[in-house]
Amino acid sequence: MMFLSREGRVSVAKGRTAHGRFCQERTGSAMDEALAAQKHRMRARRRFRERRNLFLFLLPTLFFVVVFLAFPLLSSGYLSLTDVRANIFEPHKLIGLKGYYQTIVKDSFFHTAMRNQTIYAVSYFFLTFSCSLILAILINELRKGVEILQVIFYLPMIIPLSIVGGIFLWIFSGTGNGFYNLVLNHLGLGQSPPVNVYGDPRYALFGLVIARSWKMTGFTLIIFLAGLKGISKEVREAAQIDGASFRQELFRVVLPMLRPYLLIGVVWILINSMKEFDLPAVMTFGGPGTATLTLYYRAWSLAFEYWEMGKSAQVSYITALLILLVSWVFNRIFKPETAQRG
Amino acid sequence: MKGSDQAAPPAVKNRTSRRTVVIFIIVVVAAGVFLFPLLWMLLTSLRPRADIYKAVPTIIPEAFNFDNYRYILTQEKFPRFFLNSVVITSSTVLIVLFSSLMGGYALGMRRFRGQNMLFFLVTLVLAIPYIMYLVPIFVMEMYLDLRNTWLGLILPYVALNLPWGLLIMRGAFSTIPLDLKDSATIDGCSEFRFVFAICTPILKPALAAATIITFVFVWEEFLFASSINVRNYTLPVYFKFLLVETQGQEWGKVGAVVVVTILPVLILFLVFRNFFIKGLSEGMLKG
Repeated sequence: MMFLSREGRVSVAKGRTAHGRFCQERTGSAMDEALAAQKHRMRARRRFRERRNLFLFLLPTLFFVVVFLAFPLLSSGYLSLTDVRANIFEPHKLIGLKGYYQTIVKDSFFHTAMRNQTIYAVSYFFLTFSCSLILAILINELRKGVEILQVIFYLPMIIPLSIVGGIFLWIFSGTGNGFYNLVLNHLGLGQSPPVNVYGDPRYALFGLVIARSWKMTGFTLIIFLAGLKGISKEVREAAQIDGASFRQELFRVVLPMLRPYLLIGVVWILINSMKEFDLPAVMTFGGPGTATLTLYYRAWSLAFEYWEMGKSAQVSYITALLILLVSWVFNRIFKPETAQRG
Repeated sequence: MKGSDQAAPPAVKNRTSRRTVVIFIIVVVAAGVFLFPLLWMLLTSLRPRADIYKAVPTIIPEAFNFDNYRYILTQEKFPRFFLNSVVITSSTVLIVLFSSLMGGYALGMRRFRGQNMLFFLVTLVLAIPYIMYLVPIFVMEMYLDLRNTWLGLILPYVALNLPWGLLIMRGAFSTIPLDLKDSATIDGCSEFRFVFAICTPILKPALAAATIITFVFVWEEFLFASSINVRNYTLPVYFKFLLVETQGQEWGKVGAVVVVTILPVLILFLVFRNFFIKGLSEGMLKG
């Protein structure tokens, strides 16, 4: 920095002498020249200072982004192209896309994970999307008590996901008087031994969906309510004056106008469903059997249970590509401009 | 359609007000369903152990006591892990605030080459699954001997939460008029003083939003915490091992841990909820 500034000053000074002599001969006012040169020097110094400040302002961001995001991203990309196992510093071979081929075509765990992931994403999407859309439309009709109701619906968002797992594990628990079995008993439908939802391969995945939806609904509710608030009252009143029934008003006016927001909601729900790790890790460990093995959990267990870093990187790259694909498809193919703006 | 519409004929008015009541009831019931899991856990944590494992169980507990809370708060592990969570979360929040204030200023009020590209790359991070960063960071920390330390979690957390912070702060800085900066510069105010002394008070709402969003995300983070820290747990990881340890035989204690874990973030949420919602919707709609 010092060197740069000194150099800047030197070059400015040179300019002044050459230029100054020339000017003195013509106009004879050295005073103006000195002033102009000083102005020039100051401007150069200020420009330099601005550059330096910009760099300093961006420094923390660049540090964290480069060291903890860009570098890991690239190195796990490299890992995914090798046959690295536990120790990534021991000699290994670059196998290119062969690893991806083996994972996609031959790995039966990966196939199970893909299947679970699809079922999970679809049912999670329907549950979350319909719950939050219906709630948003209903809440938008209300005028009193809206705030406290909203707080209640937003509350699950802040509950840590592993805690959510614990809460639902308890509600659907087979031990103690878990609420689900309690109700079944009171209705005379109780079974013995008690139903253990998360211990049953048929229900476990849907149990996870319910728990995750409980947390996610608030997020999409925020998006939808923001969209509904943006629809002007005049438009809806005009529809009512024209004699539209509530249903017509909803499907012909409100939902089409809400479309960009619905799109954002869909993308967020789908991206979110791909990142399912906490719940299987806390509640079911990917089991029983492989019933709740999600892509994310598979990638994690390859790295930290089987110590297959290369394979894990392949699975996580495939997951990331799927996520980018989903958001790209929804953002580009349906409604390009409005979806971006929001 | 609204009940206050004076011009509407009585029949319509009557119909709409009845509909409002029906909608209100539906929403309240739904709210009850949403609130129920939390209330049920709270109720469980207050029950004596015998009440939970009775042969003929009841929905409303017969007696309340605080044994479970006394147990977990006096035991050695829980307070230590609570402290871990508090230290890691609050230092992450501070660093994120500082970095996003600086970076948000550069991205929102300055013009430079590659600005949009940089911002795009930063927001891309939001879409990429965190697990892609995990393995290299894990290896890096293994060699730097950062595992099981506070710093070992704080650094990656800052990186993961910075994009949200930048998104919020950039938006906030772009609302500040450039004239303000010009007049501050003419008065001889350096850029750093401009950001930290003049802008920071104006940007309080955005800072509050960034604070609570980062807090919530870090408080619940599980993937990194469970993989990198194998001894020095944070609360979510401790909770997982508690579940494994108790094998469904100590739901009262689990409930007490749940309540105490939620409490700090719940209080923050209730105080700053408007900032939280505004920040989140800004981020989600733009991201």
